Amino acid sequence: MPPPLRLNAVAFISPQNHPILIRTFQKGDELKYHYVAHTSLDVIEERTNGPAKSNECYLGLLYAMDDIAAYGYITPLKVKIVLALPLTDSVVRDSEVIMTFKALHLAYYHASSNPFLRLYDTPAGVGSSRWKCFRQRVDEISRAIGGTSVPS
Amino acid sequence: MNSYPVELLVQLAPVMFIAGLDPAVLPTSTSNTPQSPGQSQSQSPPPTPTKHDPFQSLIARLRDVLQSQRKAAIWAPERTRSFQMILVDRNVRFPPRKLVSPEDPAYSTAHSPLSPLTPSSPLYPDGLIAPIWIRKHTALLPSVFVLFLRLFEPPPVHTRSPLDTPDPDYEREKAEEERRRDAELSAEVAARKKTTNERGIKLTVVLLASRRMLDDPSLDSRLTFIRRQSGLDSRAALFVLSPVSTSELHDFARSLQDALYEPAVEYYTLHSKRVRRKRNRHSQAVSSYNSPLAPVGAASARPLRPEGWTVRYEYKMACFAEFRGEDEVALKHYQDAYTKLMIMFGSTAILPPRTKRWAEAKVLADAINVKISKLYLYNREHSLALSHHNSHMRRFADFSRGWGIGEETFEYWSWMARQHRVLAELLEQGSQSSLTLPTNTPPSRSMSPAGTPVELDTVRAPGLNPSHALQHPGHYYYMAARCTEFRRERFLASEVCSDIFGTSQGASAAPGYANEKKVDHLSLILELYTKSYEVFKKYNSTTSQGRLTLWIAYRIAHTYYESEKFDVAIRFFERIAKTYRKEKWNDMLRPLLSTWYSCAQKLGDVELMVTLLVEMIGRAQDHDESKSLQDDLLAVLNSSVPSSAGEPLVVDLKESEPLLDTILVFWTPEVRVGEEAAFQLSLAAPTNIDLSALPVASVTITFSNGYYPVVLRHSPSTDNQAADQNVRLVKIGKVMPEDEDEEPEEIAADLRWRPGERLVVSGSISSAAPGPLTVVSISVILAQSDWVIEMPHEPGVSHGISTLVPRWLTSIHPIRFLQLGRNDCSSVVVRHHPHELAVSFSHQAPALLDEEYPIIIDVTNVDERHLDIAVDVLLQPTEVDEASQYIIFDDQRSSGLIKGIRFDIIAPGVSATKTLYLVGSGAPGDRMIDVSIQSTSVQAATKDDDNAECPRSSTSSAHAAVDTCEKLQTIVIPMSRALSVTYNVAYKRSKNAMPPLADLSTVEDDVWDDSYGGVAIVAARIECSAPCALLIESLKLRRQDNSLAKVLDSSSDEGSDDIFLDEYLPGDEFCDVSRISLSPQEEQVLAEEKIPGPGDYEVVWRRVLPGGDRGRQSTTRFALPTLMLPRDGLIALLDVPSTAKLHVPTPVQLTVRNRHPFRSANVTITLDLDPSDAFIVAGLRNGRLPILLPGSEERLSWNLIPVECGHVKVPRIKVMDVRHATPLSQGAGVPSTEVDVEGEVINVVDVRADWRTASAHNAGENSVAITQQDGVSTILVLP
Repeated sequence: MPPPLRLNAVAFISPQNHPILIRTFQKGDELKYHYVAHTSLDVIEERTNGPAKSNECYLGLLYAMDDIAAYGYITPLKVKIVLALPLTDSVVRDSEVIMTFKALHLAYYHASSNPFLRLYDTPAGVGSSRWKCFRQRVDEISRAIGGTSVPS
Repeated sequence: MNSYPVELLVQLAPVMFIAGLDPAVLPTSTSNTPQSPGQSQSQSPPPTPTKHDPFQSLIARLRDVLQSQRKAAIWAPERTRSFQMILVDRNVRFPPRKLVSPEDPAYSTAHSPLSPLTPSSPLYPDGLIAPIWIRKHTALLPSVFVLFLRLFEPPPVHTRSPLDTPDPDYEREKAEEERRRDAELSAEVAARKKTTNERGIKLTVVLLASRRMLDDPSLDSRLTFIRRQSGLDSRAALFVLSPVSTSELHDFARSLQDALYEPAVEYYTLHSKRVRRKRNRHSQAVSSYNSPLAPVGAASARPLRPEGWTVRYEYKMACFAEFRGEDEVALKHYQDAYTKLMIMFGSTAILPPRTKRWAEAKVLADAINVKISKLYLYNREHSLALSHHNSHMRRFADFSRGWGIGEETFEYWSWMARQHRVLAELLEQGSQSSLTLPTNTPPSRSMSPAGTPVELDTVRAPGLNPSHALQHPGHYYYMAARCTEFRRERFLASEVCSDIFGTSQGASAAPGYANEKKVDHLSLILELYTKSYEVFKKYNSTTSQGRLTLWIAYRIAHTYYESEKFDVAIRFFERIAKTYRKEKWNDMLRPLLSTWYSCAQKLGDVELMVTLLVEMIGRAQDHDESKSLQDDLLAVLNSSVPSSAGEPLVVDLKESEPLLDTILVFWTPEVRVGEEAAFQLSLAAPTNIDLSALPVASVTITFSNGYYPVVLRHSPSTDNQAADQNVRLVKIGKVMPEDEDEEPEEIAADLRWRPGERLVVSGSISSAAPGPLTVVSISVILAQSDWVIEMPHEPGVSHGISTLVPRWLTSIHPIRFLQLGRNDCSSVVVRHHPHELAVSFSHQAPALLDEEYPIIIDVTNVDERHLDIAVDVLLQPTEVDEASQYIIFDDQRSSGLIKGIRFDIIAPGVSATKTLYLVGSGAPGDRMIDVSIQSTSVQAATKDDDNAECPRSSTSSAHAAVDTCEKLQTIVIPMSRALSVTYNVAYKRSKNAMPPLADLSTVEDDVWDDSYGGVAIVAARIECSAPCALLIESLKLRRQDNSLAKVLDSSSDEGSDDIFLDEYLPGDEFCDVSRISLSPQEEQVLAEEKIPGPGDYEVVWRRVLPGGDRGRQSTTRFALPTLMLPRDGLIALLDVPSTAKLHVPTPVQLTVRNRHPFRSANVTITLDLDPSDAFIVAGLRNGRLPILLPGSEERLSWNLIPVECGHVKVPRIKVMDVRHATPLSQGAGVPSTEVDVEGEVINVVDVRADWRTASAHNAGENSVAITQQDGVSTILVLP
């Protein structure tokens, strides 16, 4: 039985490839996950636009580098979600990852359907208080999945 | 890979020794030409035999072909029965099996020179296995020995003629010579056979012979002789080869390898068996093994442990299996060896760390790991390969901690880097030939990719282990580089340690320190990163932007920075920053910028420093950061001078974050020419950035063309109260156009921004010409000492998009903003004033059909400008059925659009009028007309006598040329009929006799036979239905006779044209009657066709206008109605004169016509004489007519003698069709008394009163009959 999933970081990236939210659950390594999210875009684009393109939302393992494995997901409206999992020597079941992605997608969906959240707040305004709920929800998902580390 | 002995990594293949192909050794050559040993000659196409010995070139080509059969490589997954061919001297000696000679009595107990049991061996006493052992089997000992020898051939005898008898002496001599040479050859082979047999090596001899020799009948016997003499095997031991082409040589090499592969496999199997025997024997006698055999001299050294022996044997068996090409067996043995080796590493007693044997074992373990991974990869078991590789690294990481070389040492990281690199190199080699990398896309639900191999375990489990997902080698190079970075870090740390504690202690603490010191870490890192970068680039698909490569480029740049190659690093940074800026990954940009900045610092590039600092201030996270950056900037500005004095340094912030958030708001989206457009430009510092220390000297606001830029000059605020405010307002008034003579003054403003402060510049702008107006750029200019730095900002940029909401500052005490509801407030559009035109349409509704209905369009210029007017008229298609229409305008006539009717230039206050005529016909209903009045303002040059115009008016007239307006208007005109007509039609039967049945004249074209059609009498009643009075000028029946009908006469024919000329009021009527003769054909009657009216009435009329005037003459036409064809069956026509004279016989005629199309008629006639009748009748009283065929008639006549005066009734004549009655009376069997009771009564029609109306006719013939029956015909009898 593989150990429960643990999240190192979650990244939401806008259709224009701007970062929406990059949430790190490990202290002191925030920048690294920015890079992970950014480089993941390459693989995501390759999977979605490349010759072997598919219409699946779940893009699977994007790559493994250093000590993390990056998983990708693209919503029908082209918001990309990247998960950074710690690279352990165990099987990561797709179903669990898909479940996590769906929960994250739903969290984003709920947050963006807030009528008091104006659209021009979207890309840059994630740091603002309006998105607090969204951040909390993402943290909750991470906690529920098994990442017990305190978000930084 | 270079860090491991190549023997341990290379793919093994059976070894074949090739002897006798030495180009230096000249066989018994007959050729006199000097032999060139060089290869270059052998490469050339087969030389002509006259110049070269064919065998020499054959040997040279054979060397090439055989050597090219297989290249020793690490990655060689193909199993094609190929040999590793090694060319050797024909007298080559094999290495001795044991050190002592076989004769020695100690031979049986002695061991191989490489055995750990032999004291002189490098492995003595406890070595595991050495690369030299592999080398022995790959280079010194073959599995097959192929010896090339030249078969003796006597020089050819040139017989002069075929009839010559061969010389017996010569033949004998030749045979003897052959025999002698063959014996020599056999002896040589036998000698070689002896040495190979000792080792179990297969010996194969290839005899080179000329093509002529192959046909020689003596060849077979000679070959048998040689084989027997030399003791060669019977199978695959003797080949004969003649000089052939290179391609055939390839075939030969192929067949040689195929033939010898099995003996080779056998050879290695024997070895395996031997080793297995030893291993089994050894494992049974583990305990008693080591002591008795331990040599005396090496008492101090511990002999090899049993585990070591197992490793040794397993490794050997694995190698032999690999020689045989049995990958699975080899993998199994390698794994066994590896497992045992791990056990050995597990105990420091067995393998004490940091000894020579330990180091050797480590290398061996790494090499075995590579082999195992490689064998897995051959089999496409990617995840197994990676899992083995990973567990190898993890295990040794654990071991390393026990050995005191854990993560904190550079040795650990050096080793890790090596592992990653080996894997990367292995994958790179593999991907160059046969290895395909999996894509790692989830295989679920979506189609299974047909091309890519799906890994077994991913199919089985719904997920994969990310660390077992094979990626392209770039990733592993990258990992190696990362590990090398760590290695460098640890090394630097230990260097610091050694500096602190003194060199001797530091050096002793790390054993490899001296070596490590020589390593150039940075170039190593750079090499690995560069390799990774290249591989990433290669594997990058075209669709992606290369962000992964950018990330590696960033690492490379960092490494360059570390190795102090700042200029190279800067080039990298420039490229990387471009993408990061574009995609707004600010968190990644900030460390990049700071490193870039330090590069610039190191290089002393002041301008770059300034540029970077400005950008960094724009991206600062908080007040402290922005403050310290500003301090840095000020320090740089104060301490240096710009390279190009005088020129301002332009820092373009377009791609990156701006310094100030700017937003331009116009109050209205549109203004008229000359009106002022109020605007507010707000310059704000973000709340998290403190810009108060920035020496902003001025801000220049540049507008669209034609205006002086507004310059705000800094002047510190003196007003304390204003300084406390978050929002400052600067009023700049009206923006001056450039053609004003005096330049506007600079405006003083406080140009220092604390966090969140906002400067609102409020003003207005107006334009004499239409067009968009906006702010083009806002330049913030910093000035400090000699520096002038210009930072262009665009209007409407911000750090966060949320601040771009357009807001209008309405009040400063308290501060109040009004949010504008528009989306785009950043520009204003200037438009011309609309043209003032009064347009009126006058007409007398309703319009009448067929009338040219005038609509008067009156355009009055109420504007102050001269306007050039053009009018387009569009007549909308009408929806009324049968309606047609057109318009007439200025001599143009159209049923749709009339364009560009010019009214010419209308001066102010003047009006122009034109009349548009609408003509509608067909049906009444509303007609719709769209009128578009386009006005263009023109400068009335004729009116302006003022020739001294300033140049401005020329520009404005240029603009005025496009100053156009359009006015659209739709008018709906009801249309009604002027006259309406109703027709009354009656039909009279003809009295003319029908033509006889066979009358040929009836089929002629121009025959007019109205005997059936008769005459239609049409009464037209025309009513004046117009709502106004009409003047009828004439009425005419225009005849249009056709083949079925023609107008006989009309009442309008008589009298003059002006009988109608009169004014008619609405409701007035007039009438006209005409007679039309009909001549239908029989088939037209049957088809009940209608006959088109043979003409129309043309009424010419005028409208009487309210003032008594007459309108235009109009013509209305009414077509005669369509006429029905009367249809009869059997009919009787009674022709009675109107008057008679008393006592004078008066003839009466009855015509019975059978107009039934196909039925003949049987008619009886009875004349009923009543006693009261006023006549005495002479003629038939009761009788039967001959059978009437269809289309024939019968005429009867009587003479009536009136005996009374006055209107007297004509005696009743009864006509019966007894066609139906006859069978009834016969059927009864009894002859009836009278026949008059039965039969059908036929109408008797008095032709004088034959008046059938169309409506009656339509109702049916019975009704016709009834109407006729009622009217009893009478004759007026006069005395």
